[in-house]
Amino acid sequence: MTGRRVDDGLDRGQPFQFFLDGEAIVAYPGESIAAALVAHGRNVARRTTRADVPRGYFCGMGVCWDCVMVVNGTPNVRTCRTEAAPNMKVQTQRGVGEAS
Amino acid sequence: MIDTDLAIIGAGAAGLAAATEAVEHGLTVTIADDNPRAGGQYFRQPPLPFRRNGQSWFDKEATRANALFDVLGHPKVTHIPDAVVWNLPEPNVLAVAAGDRSTRVRAGAIVVATGAHDRPVPFPGWTLPGVITAGGAQNLLKGNRMVPGRRIVVAGNGPLLFVVGASLVRAGVDVAAIVEAAPVNARLTAALPGLLAAPKLLRQAIDYRWTLLRAGVPVRTGMTAVAAHGEENVNAVSIAPIDGEGRIDRNRIERVDCDALVVGFGLTPSVELMRLIGCDLDFHPARGGWLPRRSTGFETSVPGVFAAGDGAAIGGVEIALLEGRLAALEAAVRLGRARDASVRRAALTHKLARIDRFRRAIERLFAAPCHYLDLLADDTVVCRCEEVTAGELKMRGREAWTSMVQLKSTTRLAMGRCQGRNCMATLASLVAQSMGEPIAKLAYPRTRPPARPIALGDLLHEPIAPPELPADPHLPRGQKVT
Repeated sequence: MTGRRVDDGLDRGQPFQFFLDGEAIVAYPGESIAAALVAHGRNVARRTTRADVPRGYFCGMGVCWDCVMVVNGTPNVRTCRTEAAPNMKVQTQRGVGEAS
Repeated sequence: MIDTDLAIIGAGAAGLAAATEAVEHGLTVTIADDNPRAGGQYFRQPPLPFRRNGQSWFDKEATRANALFDVLGHPKVTHIPDAVVWNLPEPNVLAVAAGDRSTRVRAGAIVVATGAHDRPVPFPGWTLPGVITAGGAQNLLKGNRMVPGRRIVVAGNGPLLFVVGASLVRAGVDVAAIVEAAPVNARLTAALPGLLAAPKLLRQAIDYRWTLLRAGVPVRTGMTAVAAHGEENVNAVSIAPIDGEGRIDRNRIERVDCDALVVGFGLTPSVELMRLIGCDLDFHPARGGWLPRRSTGFETSVPGVFAAGDGAAIGGVEIALLEGRLAALEAAVRLGRARDASVRRAALTHKLARIDRFRRAIERLFAAPCHYLDLLADDTVVCRCEEVTAGELKMRGREAWTSMVQLKSTTRLAMGRCQGRNCMATLASLVAQSMGEPIAKLAYPRTRPPARPIALGDLLHEPIAPPELPADPHLPRGQKVT
């Protein structure tokens, strides 16, 4: 999916950068990590333990735990529930907790 | 330990309405919510740093939301955001994990207003990135003012599909199709008298439908998504018609290209805390599945524990607002603090009855026309966390197809981080089908704390209870293992 921000006259404030596996991603203050990634067209949050298949944002309300990633070294962080922050280091998660 | 007159779990529509009513009767209120900002799903607001111009279609509920949020600034109200109510160690005590520690709240009465999440319906490809729930799409729109794709299919069953579809159109998305399983057009005439009971809500529904019509979005009723396709992201969805007997006609599959698929099959109330403390539950599929049995005052079978809104029975935001008020009013009566209770109760109940007529009409309109288990292929993942497929469950079933508990412990289904929220309903349907038993008769695996995952470190501040062996699920409740 190639998501994007809706332009309806909303002032989102000053954009900043964070990093997905080293790649710079733009976010605005208050956006969740998952949303900023979706807006950037990066939808794979993790790869699963058994089948090694990609998963991403699904329920969007903290229930399903499919969007967990490694955030600043901490694994299993629900990115739909966590705000992006300047220079945050986000990594695609493999299995139950390693960065890939 | 926090002492409060009324503890409310959930700061969505029902919880905020309950808090508003409670302070009007002079009660002290503690409201714990697992979101950083109040509002729940319906009144979810964009982040604080965003400055809105007030002109956008997406701001239409901002006024009502802000009026509800006012109660959080009331001197008698304590709002605990980012909080997980992970246990009710006693029916009037909440164990709340927030800010890296767990505290307890002791209350005169409790209103459970935990809301709902999307009813999970597994089908081939539903785990692909780019396949998201209707609630997830709404949260991107409301909470981040974003859309998940450029060409989107919205599929499933229920009124939320039309809300999401219209919202995406308003956000400038090419909605490739709305795929609604129920033959709503054929049922419309019969539903009309009930729909007219709430003209404002009907007008809103017509506005959604009109938005889709004007944008030329194909609304395919009596059809269902049967598979999502793609490797690293969804790139197409297969849809098929459902015949009069509820069979999916796989000879007439159509493929629709898309870069995101939004799926919604209705909502499921979050009843785990009530299950945990032994509230009597009844199975009502039309209202979301397992629901707490409630008195006319919205009290559950456990005295002093009230339940309101979608967390008790799916009914939508207007019902949640009224039930929240009524539940808090009854709690105030119970605590001997209510003023003008009978007058208020009559006024609120009257409004509720009207919206209830609308709700029943909507339920009949959208009643599921097929059995969703027919969507499963052997390699379809049922348990998203532990990656347990339908085929594995069937294989175990041939060996020991007897109980949900057995299948859980042999496959690890429902043992992952979502704690069964995405798979338990499917497991119940599978077991019920294979045993020829109604779901209401099945023995579910016991619900245990934590009701939601919390960090071990949160528990370091928990008061330590005297050691006691946990009750064995196969023994009658309370009997000790020796």
